[in-house]
Amino acid sequence: MLLSTALLVPWVTGVLLVALDGRRRVIAWLGVGSLAATLVLLAVLAAQVFTGGARRVRTGDWPEGVGITLRADALAVAFALLSVLVLLAAAVHEASGGARSRTFPGLVVLLAAGLTGLFVTGDVFSFYVFFELAMTASYALSAYGGKRRQLRAALVFAAVNLLGSFIFLLSVAGVYRVTGTLSMDQVAGRMLDVNPNAALLIATGFFIAFCVKLGLFPFHFWLPTVYAGARPAVAAILSGAVANIGAYGLLRFGAGLFPEQLRHAGIALVVLGAASIVYGGVLAVARGDTAEMLAYSAIGQVGYVLVAVGVGGPVALTTAVLYSVVNALNKALLFLASGLRGTLVAGAFAVGALSVAGVPPAMGFVGKLELFRTGVAAGSAALVVLLVVGSALSLVYLFQVYQRRFWRADPASGGVVSPLPQRLVTAALALLVLAAGLWPEPLIALSGHAVDMLLAVGPG
Amino acid sequence: MILAFAVAAAVLFGSGAYLLLKQDLIRMVAGIILISQSGVVTIIAASLSRGRAAIDVAPGERVSDPLPQALALTALVIGLATVALLLALVHRAIVVFRTAEQDELAATEAEHEAGLERRRQADREEIESDPDGERAP
Repeated sequence: MLLSTALLVPWVTGVLLVALDGRRRVIAWLGVGSLAATLVLLAVLAAQVFTGGARRVRTGDWPEGVGITLRADALAVAFALLSVLVLLAAAVHEASGGARSRTFPGLVVLLAAGLTGLFVTGDVFSFYVFFELAMTASYALSAYGGKRRQLRAALVFAAVNLLGSFIFLLSVAGVYRVTGTLSMDQVAGRMLDVNPNAALLIATGFFIAFCVKLGLFPFHFWLPTVYAGARPAVAAILSGAVANIGAYGLLRFGAGLFPEQLRHAGIALVVLGAASIVYGGVLAVARGDTAEMLAYSAIGQVGYVLVAVGVGGPVALTTAVLYSVVNALNKALLFLASGLRGTLVAGAFAVGALSVAGVPPAMGFVGKLELFRTGVAAGSAALVVLLVVGSALSLVYLFQVYQRRFWRADPASGGVVSPLPQRLVTAALALLVLAAGLWPEPLIALSGHAVDMLLAVGPG
Repeated sequence: MILAFAVAAAVLFGSGAYLLLKQDLIRMVAGIILISQSGVVTIIAASLSRGRAAIDVAPGERVSDPLPQALALTALVIGLATVALLLALVHRAIVVFRTAEQDELAATEAEHEAGLERRRQADREEIESDPDGERAP
């Protein structure tokens, strides 16, 4: 029951809010309230899942195998919580600064509905439906601001990601063709008996669709234009919440449905991830503009997730979950802070920068530590060296930007300090990043639990 | 039959991808439409079964698989909605940029940005006498 409510609250309120004028303060804060309510519901659900195991709901009381199953396991609620948290931060950011378009609050809430649905669904096709719900909301969001840059960003983003979505749809049709079912549990079981070539083709389709979403190296071409063109709050949403679709998809579909194919493609995935890390890092160092630097940094950071997925096994997958969480919070913090000015902001940006580079007090350190453990467990010296180089590069580019933006007074801004609530949001995110760095046990336990559940559902 | 569907889907996808790479924004939208149709054709091809519609069937009668039909309908509706959104975006872009060519789009944007940067630079020079050319392009 709780599960359906957590999905319905943002869905219904989102539809209502889109019809109202979001430029009015009340509406913007109503949107924030709705997201907060969703977050609370998801947190209660998460508590239940951790103590009592996965929750399942069959929609419309249809018999098993006919109705669409909603299934909240630890991986699903972890990603849903993370995404709604990032959306909430971005919504508070815009609500306190004054939203500039009618539809912004409604779209953010609808995006929350789409993301929550996509994480909790147990059916491959309704995954596609929620995926499109979330993506449609984010296409509209990326045009937020309405200036030339945002418009061009929205066009590029929509065109490339629609292509990704349809490739996903082709793979869904393929899954139905070879297994005769769309329920994830049954697909995982029947995939083992499928002709390996067909299975590999379908898995590749899913992989490409999710890589486009994540912005991994060969599929990253759209990302810098979009992240640099969109407004900071939207960039935070895209990199902190929408990109989670890619990470979740790689874990759910890769490790959950296609473990055999994932094992075969492990090396290729690690190589692609490594290319992402180096490419993103090197280009980020070369960029002058903060938003563009953060965009390339995002390409580099998701590379770590792909490397961890490619290595495979419980330790590496736990790292992948952990690093997705760390990366989403880092990026949300940095993008939000990059649009602001003032004392608190400089501190928050520094925390985010330290976290991306993996310096101890911040939670990025925990992520990097787990990555090193993965590298050591995989027995690969090259991987460990790569991680060190990647971290060093991120330290260089982030503090380059920090120095340029916060050490030197920028006369163009005329010493205008951003409104206090906006700065408080970034400070709160920074505190969260620090707190999770100082007390990482819950996060590590959560990721481990999520992966245990994921592997238990899948065959073997 | 499978072959016919496969060829149809491949031709649709191929011509869609070709159009998607064009400079013209309207062609790009047409490309997306074709690719979405290729998805629908593939879904229908995923289960080619002959029989009556799966409603009010007598026992022992052959039934055509209703699931892909439902999926195809859903995919069509989603495709329609996304294409409508994309067309709205393209319309907005043509109004703002006064062109539907992607190259010109990028060029006008770069020009616009350069103009803004010049103005910012001028402001800066007014505020303090020594200008610092810190921003790399």
